[in-house]
Amino acid sequence: MLNFQTAINDQKNFSEIKLNEISPIRKLILRGKSREFLSAVGKTINILLPTEPNTSSSNGEITIIWLSPDEWIIFSNSIDNQDFNQIEEKLVQNICKTKLGAVIDVTDQFVMINLTGNKIFDLFQKGSPFNFNEFRNKKGATTQTLLAKIDVIIQNKDQNDINVFVRRSFSRHLYSWMSDSASRL
Amino acid sequence: MFVISCPYCGEREQSEFKAGGEAHIERPKQPTELSDDEWAEYLFMRKNIKGIQYERWNHAHGCRKWFNMVRDTSNDEIKAVYKMGEKPPSV
Ligand SMILES: [Zn+2]
Repeated sequence: MLNFQTAINDQKNFSEIKLNEISPIRKLILRGKSREFLSAVGKTINILLPTEPNTSSSNGEITIIWLSPDEWIIFSNSIDNQDFNQIEEKLVQNICKTKLGAVIDVTDQFVMINLTGNKIFDLFQKGSPFNFNEFRNKKGATTQTLLAKIDVIIQNKDQNDINVFVRRSFSRHLYSWMSDSASRL
Repeated sequence: MFVISCPYCGEREQSEFKAGGEAHIERPKQPTELSDDEWAEYLFMRKNIKGIQYERWNHAHGCRKWFNMVRDTSNDEIKAVYKMGEKPPSV
C-alpha cells in the first residue's frame, strides 16, 4: 500500500536553511460535519479534531491540521509508522462504515517537505501572498496558501521548523523552486 | 490587489480567491414550465452594475469554501462578507 519511492529524493543544506523530504509518512484526509462525527473521531483516536481555523493539534503519535470547517488532514509523526494502520482501520470502522464521514488515505498524494533554519520565512516571502507575521511565532499554526503559485499546506511545527505539504505532481517543481530561492537568500 | 476576509480563515490576499458571479440567484423550481426566454434569463442574465453588488466568492487556494460578499464595484470596497445560507445584510 505504501509507496516507498520518494518523490524528491534530495536534501539541500544551505547556510541558513535546510530542505528535506520526510518519507514515507502516512496521511489521511478526514471529512465530516456533524457533532456525532466529531465525537466519534475523538473517541477513536484519543485526540480532538481542532475546530479553530488555521491550527493543528498533536499527541505523541499523530498530528491533525485544520483544513476547512469540515476537513482535516491527519499524519503520522514518525516515518514508517506501523501503528498507523490500526488508526486508519479504526477510523474506517467508526467513521466510514457508520456513514458519519469520509476517511481517505492520501499518503501517496501529498509529499511532506521539512524546512529548518532561520530564513524559512524569507524564503516564503519570495513566493507567497500569505502574511506570516503572526504565524511564525505561533507553534502549531497552520495555513493553506500559495507558494510559487502552487497550493500548499504549511504547518509551524516549532521555532524555525516548518512542514510543507504539496501534491506529489507539483512536489519536484516546488522543491526546485525552493532550492533555487534558498540558494540566493 | 486587495485583502478579502474569508469567513472561515480570516484575512487573505485576493490571489487566493476565485470570483463566482452574482449571488442569490435561485434556480426555478419547475424549469419545464418556463419559456425559453425565462430560462435564458435565469441561466445567462447577470447584473453588471457600477456600485453595490452581491457576489459569490470561493477561497480556492485556502479552505475551498464558497461564501458571499457585498462589494462596491466602483472602488472595490468590500462592504460585508457572510456565509452561504445566511441572510444578505442590507448595505
Ligand atoms: Zn478560507
